[in-house]
Amino acid sequence: MSFQATSIRATRRAVLVAALCLGACFGQGGELRFSIRSDPKTFDPLLAEDDASETVRYLTGGTLIRIDRRTQKFIPELAESWQITAGGTKIAFKLRQGVLFSDGTPFSADDVAHTFRRVMDPNLHSPVGDSFRGGPGEIKTEVQGPARITVTFPAALAGVERLFDQLTIVSSRSPKKELATLGPFVLGEHKPGSYVLFRRNPNYWKKDAAGRRLPYLDSVRADIQQNLDLELLRFKRGEVQLIDTLDPELFDRLSADSPGEAKNAGASLESEMLWFNQVAAAPLPAYKKAWFRSKDFRRAVSSAINRGDLCRLAYKGHADPAAGPISGANRLWVNAKLTPHVFEPQAALARLQRGGFRLEAGTLRDPQGNVVEFSLATNSGNKSRARIAALIQQDLAKIGIRLNVVPLDFPSLIERMTRTYDYEACLLGLVNVDLDPNSQMNVWLSSAGNHQWNPKQKTPETPWEAEIDRLMLAQSSALDPKKRKAAFDRVQEIVWEEAPFLYLVNKHALAAVSRSVLNASPVALWPRLYWNPEYLQVANQMARTR
Amino acid sequence: MVFARRISILFVTLLLAGLGGATLLRLAPGFSADERDLDSRLNAGSHEAFEAVRAGERNLGRFYLLYLSRLARGDLGTSRLFSRPVVELLRERLPLTMGTVLAGFAMAWTAGLALSAVSAMARNQALPFALGGFGSALLCVPSALMAVLFYRMDVPASAGVAAVIFPKVFFYSKRLFRASLAKPHVLTARAKGLGDVRVFIWHAVPPVAEELFSLAGVTLALGLSAAIPLEVILDLPGIGQLAWKAALGRDLSLLVSLTLLIGAFTLTANALADALAHATRGAGSNDDSR
Repeated sequence: MSFQATSIRATRRAVLVAALCLGACFGQGGELRFSIRSDPKTFDPLLAEDDASETVRYLTGGTLIRIDRRTQKFIPELAESWQITAGGTKIAFKLRQGVLFSDGTPFSADDVAHTFRRVMDPNLHSPVGDSFRGGPGEIKTEVQGPARITVTFPAALAGVERLFDQLTIVSSRSPKKELATLGPFVLGEHKPGSYVLFRRNPNYWKKDAAGRRLPYLDSVRADIQQNLDLELLRFKRGEVQLIDTLDPELFDRLSADSPGEAKNAGASLESEMLWFNQVAAAPLPAYKKAWFRSKDFRRAVSSAINRGDLCRLAYKGHADPAAGPISGANRLWVNAKLTPHVFEPQAALARLQRGGFRLEAGTLRDPQGNVVEFSLATNSGNKSRARIAALIQQDLAKIGIRLNVVPLDFPSLIERMTRTYDYEACLLGLVNVDLDPNSQMNVWLSSAGNHQWNPKQKTPETPWEAEIDRLMLAQSSALDPKKRKAAFDRVQEIVWEEAPFLYLVNKHALAAVSRSVLNASPVALWPRLYWNPEYLQVANQMARTR
Repeated sequence: MVFARRISILFVTLLLAGLGGATLLRLAPGFSADERDLDSRLNAGSHEAFEAVRAGERNLGRFYLLYLSRLARGDLGTSRLFSRPVVELLRERLPLTMGTVLAGFAMAWTAGLALSAVSAMARNQALPFALGGFGSALLCVPSALMAVLFYRMDVPASAGVAAVIFPKVFFYSKRLFRASLAKPHVLTARAKGLGDVRVFIWHAVPPVAEELFSLAGVTLALGLSAAIPLEVILDLPGIGQLAWKAALGRDLSLLVSLTLLIGAFTLTANALADALAHATRGAGSNDDSR
């Protein structure tokens, strides 16, 4: 399988020409400012797991392959080209030559081999390393010259290219170790709790169409700001120029004050979902477990929820009803045939009544006469989620179900979800950072720890979970993209039919971009705004620096 | 001997405070949870390795003994939340909080004493009434709301600390000054034509200095408590914000260290205030004998 980059190069050239025209007006230099929520836990790109560390990795790290955040296709970065052979077990890279790390150390295939050795160290516990580790066996690298390297996997890993988007190449020779970078910026300064400053990498390999060395910006400053209201206030004061994620309320406020700066990039990869605890050993009464394990009960609850209202009232119209695990924003993998469960409270009630439930004086009772009442745990402090819970409470009351909303702080909720299983239903959000279904293996396999409704099953407890296991394993090693898509489409259909997760809404990607920032166009994938940091420019500061 | 006894009490109180903090956190729901449990990229081996690290904190007695033995060597452990040594975190953040608290403390005491003196000596009631209303309003406003207002007005966080301390200083000292000014010898002095300021400085302040020093110790600790919500809301990287994050993240090493630090600060402030009050009492009795 050989990569054809002609069309992507053409698109890129067009962007570059546009950037050049604007650049002629705005010049080069300046500082871009935005906020991150916390201090990065690490500056080692191979250990990045929190958002702040991943931001550092994205701005500073060089990768062999990138996923173009707009087209969602692979584009060559440090690798000029690549070829997958031997039934998907080998990937051979031809590397870009003449590239230097930020400290001037030359980049070569030895650095790629060194990166692999480090990331696959079992004691490192790198999330990126774990993603490459599909099964038992060792990943081997073979350096065939300064610009050629082959990586051999113990088994075929479908869609392996996408993993290289997260693998930052670290230097094997630089005394600065992981602080020597190949990305557009280098770490300049970190004032804990205040900001992280990135300076332009003087040796960055990319140039624009006019031959000018990128990035355009002199520096990027990521201020550590947890309070979203203050972040918006600072944006309005001009102290920050980008807000990567806005909640619907703040988005509307900004839209009213400054319509051109509030950006809605449409459906994001984030969805809100509800699930029932189906763990056999959960400390719940047997009759409740029987409800939660009943497909009819789950589907009835799903049909009783008015997703349109959730979008309109909880998200002020900035969300779409969700049909399944994959948002429409994931163009490659969404099963477009699926539509959200229809809001039909009467049909929901009829479905329950067919299963022996009965409505008595406005209260639903199960066949044994137990009042149908359950609690919905969610994390505290999320306004939209609290509104969703209140709306679901009202919707379910219409079919006689009593819902008690239980907001918990996040550690308590995680403990109940993953350890004690002491909860009845849970409302949470899911963020799919990676587009490929292989990144969701730990969610869909019945043996996995993140199979939230009933994790760590020794053998699949239901035939449909066994079917999902089979399909997920099949798609994970199939090399034919059509076969993979067909298998994962079927997984989505089973999930729609069995409703282990009740998908509620897909949130819109809401962001804010100051008028002074050039070449920033929000996308659904992370990072929404600074996915092309080397091309970003800041207009006002240009004027000041001249 | 008294000094040694005081130091021992302070030391034991601190140890108990640290153990109390550790116990509360260990028993808090969610202690064993880790956000990485939800990271679907990590495989079972990595989850088991993280679990093994957390297991070391499960046995509270063992943890605390180990913590104290490390503390004796100047090592406060590593923060689970920030993946950094606790000593470094405290060293980076302590100056900001101390600066905020001390500046707020100074502002509140300067304004509180000046305005309470004016109120106590005022002959008409309009000014004391207005100042009392202002003080009461500050008492009613939660420090979180104050933080937001101050941010919008570009006022530094130390003003928030001052706003929390000021009413306590103002009302308490006003009451003391009034009582002091109503004493017969003071009235006699005023009747004999001694100036108001002179009477106030030489006859109203010295008798209440002991109480004021005690109040200073209490308000210093109060200022530190006020700094926590202020730093959280204003996103200021001080130890108040650190304490909040440590509690939410169930970070045992960090929270125990912060408990000890805040405890030490409070106890030291109070001990210092007591010592000053004691010294003043001595000076006051000499003055009386004269």
